[in-house]
Amino acid sequence: MKKTIAILSAGVLSLSLLAGCGGGDAASTDGKVKIEFFHHKREGMETIDKLIAKFEKENPNIDVEQASPPEPSTVLRTRVSKSDIPDIIGVGGDMTYKDLSEAGVFADISDDKSLDKIQPAYVQMLKDVSGLDEVYAIPFATNAVGVIYNKAIFTELGLEIPNTWDEFIEVSEKIKAAGKTPFFHTYKDAWTTLPSFNALVANTQGDDFYSELNKGNILAGERYKEAAEKMIQLTEYGHKNQQGVGYNDGNTAFANGEAAMYLQGVWAIPEIKKANPDLELGVFPFPATNHADEVKVISGVDLILGLAASSKHPEEAKKFIEFLLEDENAKQYIQEQNSFSALNGITQDDPSVEDLKASFEKGALTDFPDHYIPTGVAPEKTLQTLVLEKDVDAFLEKLQKDWEKVQDRK
Amino acid sequence: MKEDNPAIQAQNISPKVASKTKRKMKSREMAYYLMVLPAVILFAAFHTFPALQGIYYSFTNWNGISLEYDFVGLKNYINLFKDVTVLDSYLFTFKFAILAAILVNIISLAVAIGLNSKIKGRNFFRAVYFLPNVLSVLIVGFIFNFFFTNILPDLGEKYKIEFLTTNILGIADFAWIGILLVFVWQACAFNIILYLSGLQTVPSELYEASSLDGANKWQQFWKVTFPMIAPFFTINMVLSMKNSLMVFDQIVAMTGGGPGNSTTSISLLIYTGGFSGGEFAFQSANAVIYFIVIMLISVFQLKILQKREMDM
Repeated sequence: MKKTIAILSAGVLSLSLLAGCGGGDAASTDGKVKIEFFHHKREGMETIDKLIAKFEKENPNIDVEQASPPEPSTVLRTRVSKSDIPDIIGVGGDMTYKDLSEAGVFADISDDKSLDKIQPAYVQMLKDVSGLDEVYAIPFATNAVGVIYNKAIFTELGLEIPNTWDEFIEVSEKIKAAGKTPFFHTYKDAWTTLPSFNALVANTQGDDFYSELNKGNILAGERYKEAAEKMIQLTEYGHKNQQGVGYNDGNTAFANGEAAMYLQGVWAIPEIKKANPDLELGVFPFPATNHADEVKVISGVDLILGLAASSKHPEEAKKFIEFLLEDENAKQYIQEQNSFSALNGITQDDPSVEDLKASFEKGALTDFPDHYIPTGVAPEKTLQTLVLEKDVDAFLEKLQKDWEKVQDRK
Repeated sequence: MKEDNPAIQAQNISPKVASKTKRKMKSREMAYYLMVLPAVILFAAFHTFPALQGIYYSFTNWNGISLEYDFVGLKNYINLFKDVTVLDSYLFTFKFAILAAILVNIISLAVAIGLNSKIKGRNFFRAVYFLPNVLSVLIVGFIFNFFFTNILPDLGEKYKIEFLTTNILGIADFAWIGILLVFVWQACAFNIILYLSGLQTVPSELYEASSLDGANKWQQFWKVTFPMIAPFFTINMVLSMKNSLMVFDQIVAMTGGGPGNSTTSISLLIYTGGFSGGEFAFQSANAVIYFIVIMLISVFQLKILQKREMDM
């Protein structure tokens, strides 16, 4: 009998261990309200830490915890599927936003006063991406893709900033002739092909691409041709080991002056400056075509602030969102992150991005085309094959087929 | 009824004693049941139940996060066979697994024989060869990623060895070789231990007898050692085949499935497509098919190899 009890209690003990694992939901410690801010800006964790410290000082009864794991989209989806949803969600204005909105994860904020502070173009971008009339999150920070260039090398070789595609190639030729590397490509990380591809596609795919897409016509196969051909042209001006190095290697190499230009978004600038604070760099609009006045800069919503519909402390979470939207704090974020603000009247004055300013003032902006491609298509993989194999027809066929296939499976 | 039992009457055991032993047996059985109970509960809660859920979702169009979904019958399974990406990942995984299983077994057996002989510092070498097994797969993957990306090309530049100057993980046709090397390096550790324990079961008299008969080392290996450790060969083959079919961590750390889809294994495809790709139900169907495939392969291997054991 004793034995039975011992065994039983051992069983119960091991079960209680399990229960211990499940109870990670410490709602309130010492009377404080705990809210979680989950976001995908790993580069921005330090800045957000500072802002949180400031907020907690003003609101001593609220404890904000930030989480920004690697593979944020995957982690977030997993957490949503088991109903463990963070109070505030910060993702990009992309397919993840669309999927979460459709799943009813966010609270509807279409009528929220805070939206009045936001530039209408970015609110519209969220509506376009999700295909919904309601707004489920506040666009906070935005980004831009251009060509990051090393000012010292440009002055040394006496080069001007190119305004058209032909000038762009000419400049690259000159750099190559001078024995330097024009572009530091980082094809080992598939996604690093996307920034330049986005810039090229957005300017060459045609104005009716999205309206046709909404009708169910996927035109990638024919309309992406020019962009694909130009991608291949750009591979000619890379470096020897370009298929073997990744994003982090690229940031370091560019920071050390190993190449004159770097095809990335402005989000790479803080990382580059970390590697070499003295580097003088600038960003000019990607000259995707030969019509200089028509070239649009890619700028998308980089960070949204979405309030979870299931939040247990919506008041406190809202307070934190409103805190971030205060001019001073929004400014601090974009200054430290070298990004742009979605808020009215807050401008990025850093000298490195002054060449982009004209485009921002003119409103010559357009969203990332890959935000409209369903996540299951994974265009970066096909692009990676394109820049290695240099087979345009195979690329167009595969992308078109993948897109149709995913659309069909929904 | 018990009184009528001829066996009990014949053995002249009183019914009382019989029922007492029976009760004793019962309580002992009870104890055994209780002992396995925690394991059964854990296994059911964390393995069987999720697996059944996965099968259930494979018949729906759930994207992994939405609140509602519909049943779509066999649509996911039909789409699976039409998908080139899925087909490619099966081809890659099988090519990888067969090569890995063969290499792991050859190398492990060779090393195990070496470690079983009377050499100096035998225990030290045994520990060294086991070391890769205790390292985290992911960390090892990241270290080798750095090795292939930075160290090897630098060495290639320095000593003018042309093929080393580019990172093989960035070449679509050769990236799998890099992953295979790392996989085999790490997988051998465990299989060496299994082979070692097998080699220690071979009685030394057999070697003495065979050497008296004039057998050389090579003949001894094929006629004595190899047949004697046949059961260990079976289990090593099955385990290493199964492990290499499920290759995942090394790929995540080294290539992320690239370049393109050239090193996307089935496990990786299920994970990326199912979670970040938002096609949970579709990849669940893939997982169900893959489960059946692995099971069939393991059963097939066991059948063939055990039959071989009998023949020896």
